[in-house]
Amino acid sequence: MSVALSRRQAFKVMIGLGGTAAGVIMPPTTRAAISAMPHTEEHPAHPVAPPDAVAMLFDSTVCTGCKACMPACNEANGLPTDTSLSGGIWDMPMGLNAKTKNIIELYQDPQSDEFAFVKKQCMHCLDPACVTGCPFGSLVKRDLGAVTWDSSLCIGCRYCEVACPFEVPQFQWENRNPKIVKCEFCYDQRLKENMQPACTAACPTGAVIFGKRTDLLAEAKDRIAKTPEKYFENRVYGEHEAGGTQVLYLSSVSFQKLGLPKLGATSIGHYATKITSVLYKWLAGPALVAGVFGFFIRRNWERHEAERREHEEKTGFPDQL
Amino acid sequence: MNLTQPTADKRGTTLINHWQCGVPVTHGPVLTPFILLLAGLAAIGLGLSVLRLFSPLGPFSAMNDVYAWGIWKTINVMTLTSLGSGPLALGMAAWVFNRQKLHVVMRSALVSGFLFYATGLIALGFDVGRPWNFYSAAMPWRWNSKSAMLEISICMPLYCAVFLSFEILPLILERVYYTGNVRSRALLCRVAPMIRKVYPFIITGAYVIPLMHQSSLGGLLLLAGTKINPLWQSPVMPLLYLIAAVFCGLGFTIFLLMIVCLRYARNLDAAVLAELANLLAGVCFAFLAVRIGDLIWRHQLRAAFAFDRMSFLFLFESAMILTPALALCFRRIRETPRALLNMSAVACLGGMLYRFIPTSIAYVPLRSTAYFPSAPELVMAAGYIAMGSLAFVFAVNYFAVLPGEAGTWDHTFRPFGWTAKPAHPSIALPVPSKVGQERAI
Repeated sequence: MSVALSRRQAFKVMIGLGGTAAGVIMPPTTRAAISAMPHTEEHPAHPVAPPDAVAMLFDSTVCTGCKACMPACNEANGLPTDTSLSGGIWDMPMGLNAKTKNIIELYQDPQSDEFAFVKKQCMHCLDPACVTGCPFGSLVKRDLGAVTWDSSLCIGCRYCEVACPFEVPQFQWENRNPKIVKCEFCYDQRLKENMQPACTAACPTGAVIFGKRTDLLAEAKDRIAKTPEKYFENRVYGEHEAGGTQVLYLSSVSFQKLGLPKLGATSIGHYATKITSVLYKWLAGPALVAGVFGFFIRRNWERHEAERREHEEKTGFPDQL
Repeated sequence: MNLTQPTADKRGTTLINHWQCGVPVTHGPVLTPFILLLAGLAAIGLGLSVLRLFSPLGPFSAMNDVYAWGIWKTINVMTLTSLGSGPLALGMAAWVFNRQKLHVVMRSALVSGFLFYATGLIALGFDVGRPWNFYSAAMPWRWNSKSAMLEISICMPLYCAVFLSFEILPLILERVYYTGNVRSRALLCRVAPMIRKVYPFIITGAYVIPLMHQSSLGGLLLLAGTKINPLWQSPVMPLLYLIAAVFCGLGFTIFLLMIVCLRYARNLDAAVLAELANLLAGVCFAFLAVRIGDLIWRHQLRAAFAFDRMSFLFLFESAMILTPALALCFRRIRETPRALLNMSAVACLGGMLYRFIPTSIAYVPLRSTAYFPSAPELVMAAGYIAMGSLAFVFAVNYFAVLPGEAGTWDHTFRPFGWTAKPAHPSIALPVPSKVGQERAI
């Protein structure tokens, strides 16, 4: 139904549409200026590790599978042993679970005698997807880069479990007051007191070592350079995966065989928020839509009200809204 | 507005313009076996919810750490709130795009939308593990503004509790006006102008906010990244989720109106239904255009026609949306009630499939575990759907929800044998039609 606009209304519409168009078709210079601004983006595509970022380097070719790190982790975090498989005797988790923040897993090729151990725990991503998704900031990236969980802010929505590409956060399904169980880099227990995490401290072979991320990355590349044939693809897993992680892996077998997912170099948080962070900046997008809608609604509303009054006069009964 | 003559019951055979205002159902059986079944299911669902208060999630549901989102989130919230987006779709068409014909069916869309949202949100309340921490929603300094989950956990309850509730307020006040005493009526006469004063502002919010959270439901899945099959995982998922919500809302409103009007021997309205069908076809085409364009842009067209499991799923889903879009282009089909009913149902199913698959079938994490909802989970989900349906049936009987002929509108309005003095004794009431008054309870 077309109704003629008055001149004033037409101007209003033009201003509204013009504003929308201006927002969409930003001049290239403005856009370049915005992208050139340093550190304005909360979730850059390729986050840069802060200088104090700590890390773990796990070398699968050194690990003997002694699992000394597992009880050390349990002790440091006050975790119970998972004895469901062993009939109540040993700590025998099937994977990361509500009682296990750190685990050594064995990969064995069924055909050949190829095998490798892999240590699984939180990867402490540079731009963690769980932190991006956590609605009330229960999961946060602390100083030194540890990703920790705060029980007083968590609503138990389990979005972190959906978001984490490494499937690290675990939920206490059997608990009436359920908590998210994940490796926190021993932040409160040890890292704050200038001690290295329990697992790296316990490792007898040096398969997993603790240090500054830049140092460990250099160390890993050094190892690759020394023995170019030894490591898979001659690269460090975690240098670029999902924007980079603070747990780095070296392995002689494919990382996917170890259960580490194949991920792009872009931060997942960047992928998920690059459009919405523009639309929702200062709530400008919703406000703009509300302005345009409000204009048309108001116009149609006044017309509707005039009709209503006419109808009410005719029938003597209040009209329906 | 001119009154049409009430016509004989020619259900499902003719479509003439009959809808002029909301009219409550004042006749016909209420406690049918079907309603009792719904009530039973709802009661069991409520009972299980009470059990859930005392039980952790683990023994109650089949959810695990790999499939951390169960049926309550994927069906009751993700899928069914798309059907509950009728108030958004119709409201925008009626108030923003000035499709005036649609005002008369707004009430049906509003009540059904409110019930879908309310039941979904209650289910969500039992799904979250630590609901006692939800008070953070009132503390903006705790908000993680980049989180799609924050957007949903704040916007959805806000939309349901404030905007949708405000929009259905006139239904309740109207009932109080016609059944209440003189004092309450005087009070309402003072309240009514206030409602009308803020109404345009509220409905502006009522369309902006669902635009935000319905797209955020898709935005939620962006963070799942590679866990979701690339046929579904896409940066335009928020937009697609929004369009799916719009056409599901339109389709479900058609479906609901036809089913309920046929059930209560109400005549249908060709013009309104054709308008809705037109919109439905258009939005379905828009959805498919974005969907295919996105697949081409991401070079996934080959995977879409690989004829493996996911490809068949995609093709089935798209066919469910394409069929009604094409069929409703034909006037003959639009104006045949049976075909229109079927096509709107197919469109709804297609949209529901699109909203359901990314969180369930196409959600393939690295670790191989299976999830199939446990019996209590399933029954609770069904119980909430039953609860919504039951509430709708009672709403239809108590309030002027369903569209009808102005001639059948009884201004004394005493369904369920309520006795009250006529509202305006001095004014002659319109003669009630014979159709509507035969079997008054």
